Amino acid sequence: MAQIHVAHLRKYYQVHEKEPGLIGSLRAFFARKYRTVKAVDDISFDIEAGEIVGFLGPNGAGKTTTLKVLAGLLYPTSGEVRVLGFEPFKREHAYLRQFTLVMGQKQQLMWDLPPIETFLVNQAIYEIPDAEFKATLRELDELLELGPLLKKQVRKLSLGERMKCELAAALLHRPKILFLDEPTIGLDVTMQARIREFIAEYNRRHGATVLLTSHYMADVTALCERILVIDKGKLLYDGDFRALIERVAPYKIMRLQFDQPVSTEQLMQFGEVESNEGFTATLRVPRAQATEIALRLLAQLHPEDLTFEDPPVEDIIRAVFAGAVPAEVLSARATLASAAAAAPAQM
Amino acid sequence: MRHWLRMYGALLRMGWSTVMEYRAQIVIWMTNSLLMVTMMLVWLGISSAGPVNGYTSADFVAYFMIGWVVRNLTAVWVSWELDYRIREGKLSPMLLRPMHPIHHDIAFHWAEKGLRSVIVLPIAALVLLLTPNAPLKLDVPTLLAFTVSLFMAWAIKFMIDFSLGVLAFWLSQASAFFEVFYGLTLVLTGAIAPLAMFPEAIQQALWWSPFPYMLSFPVEIALGRITGEALTLGLGVQAAWALLCTAVAALMWRLALRSYTAVGA
Repeated sequence: MAQIHVAHLRKYYQVHEKEPGLIGSLRAFFARKYRTVKAVDDISFDIEAGEIVGFLGPNGAGKTTTLKVLAGLLYPTSGEVRVLGFEPFKREHAYLRQFTLVMGQKQQLMWDLPPIETFLVNQAIYEIPDAEFKATLRELDELLELGPLLKKQVRKLSLGERMKCELAAALLHRPKILFLDEPTIGLDVTMQARIREFIAEYNRRHGATVLLTSHYMADVTALCERILVIDKGKLLYDGDFRALIERVAPYKIMRLQFDQPVSTEQLMQFGEVESNEGFTATLRVPRAQATEIALRLLAQLHPEDLTFEDPPVEDIIRAVFAGAVPAEVLSARATLASAAAAAPAQM
Repeated sequence: MRHWLRMYGALLRMGWSTVMEYRAQIVIWMTNSLLMVTMMLVWLGISSAGPVNGYTSADFVAYFMIGWVVRNLTAVWVSWELDYRIREGKLSPMLLRPMHPIHHDIAFHWAEKGLRSVIVLPIAALVLLLTPNAPLKLDVPTLLAFTVSLFMAWAIKFMIDFSLGVLAFWLSQASAFFEVFYGLTLVLTGAIAPLAMFPEAIQQALWWSPFPYMLSFPVEIALGRITGEALTLGLGVQAAWALLCTAVAALMWRLALRSYTAVGA
């Protein structure tokens, strides 16, 4: 069986609706009206050991809910969920020892104390032998450059420094599975890159499985070969990330800066002009020919600066929603999934 | 067993570091217990004309000074912690660790008691030394019984407070209930007056309730007012209440966790 197995997962919430104003409050007090929110609505996927999978979707799509179900913090409404052979919501200690969930917004480090104190408590809770604890700490220190941070009070650390320590605290017990919910949220670009490199390195060294959600395309581009796209609780795409980009966003964004205004006509020879404000311009160029076009443009227009960006993740999601993904991509996956479900003996 | 010792060792150390961070605040919170000192002065005034229901002025000094110590060493705030964690979303990270979060709270309470002892015990000892004829029973069995009953008094309070805190899973702003509850218990535990001041029938009933076992019981043991069979029976009743409160807390926690994981962590 796959390391993470999710079949027809549903998580519905009953939320009570309250009309505004005093009358509304009174009415709600005597007769509450409930509405069902389908946070996750029939999702199935399997993740094998060692995969890094990106979980993409707009706010409220159901990403965090799914992660919480996998981490045993939420009880599913229906469906089958198995991680490492455990049913997460039973929260058996044997399961809790083997994964970690890092939520960019919620911390486990004790606010008033240096991170090392939390580390030592985690060592005791997870029963990590001294030698292993030291080795892990040394490795995390080398990858994340924790050094002086370990003895500073958490409340005196910057957001980025805190995130590094949070990650370290979450990884001391060398989990086999990492659930990362927006691990780079609010961090500056350099720090985002550091965290990304770290996640990739951790995956390489320990063969850990990573399932991460992110708003940043760069996180996903750098780390994930496979992505799951989810919206309104439904899984819209499950498959190869590059293939998806090639299909729905086969272009790159080229940002240009000039020391003298350039006309739109001049720019049009190189690609589709998204904007031109004289000194700065943005072009869309075909992904495959991006380098060649850049060289030509450098030679002819002498820009002061030229940078490439991937299209924003929102564009890709929008394209998926708009049905830009050919049906066969989705159905191929669906067929695989149902074939696997039909032949449990092989798993 | 070794695992538990290590875990509590680490938690206690962390608790102690936190207590040291907040030592100023804790000393300020301790003034909360000055109620006992105030009541002592009130009863000293009343008893100046002669003993009241068997309590002389020296008895009142001893009762309220030991009461002050007991109240400090059994102080609990776990309901407040739970309420805060649930509202601020701090509970989820604790549920991910292979340890019941209650151990974190128990260890932090004990660490805090370390600081309180350092302050409270010398002061109480000094006052009692300076009080002529202060009735204290200081033999080893009494001290032992006092320590055991002190621990159980704390356990009863802690588990009741924990159960109240768990209400925050269902009721937002559960802390309002705590105030009402603690207002009610103040009289019944013997913080305002020794139980001997109450009508006989009420005293009899109270000794079967959990309330005196949170304060009066250990105090009266130290004063040598509860001895022999009464002591054995009292310790038994106290232990029963401690176990019952622990069982209720455990049950409420399970129910709460079920609803927490159903509606959103």
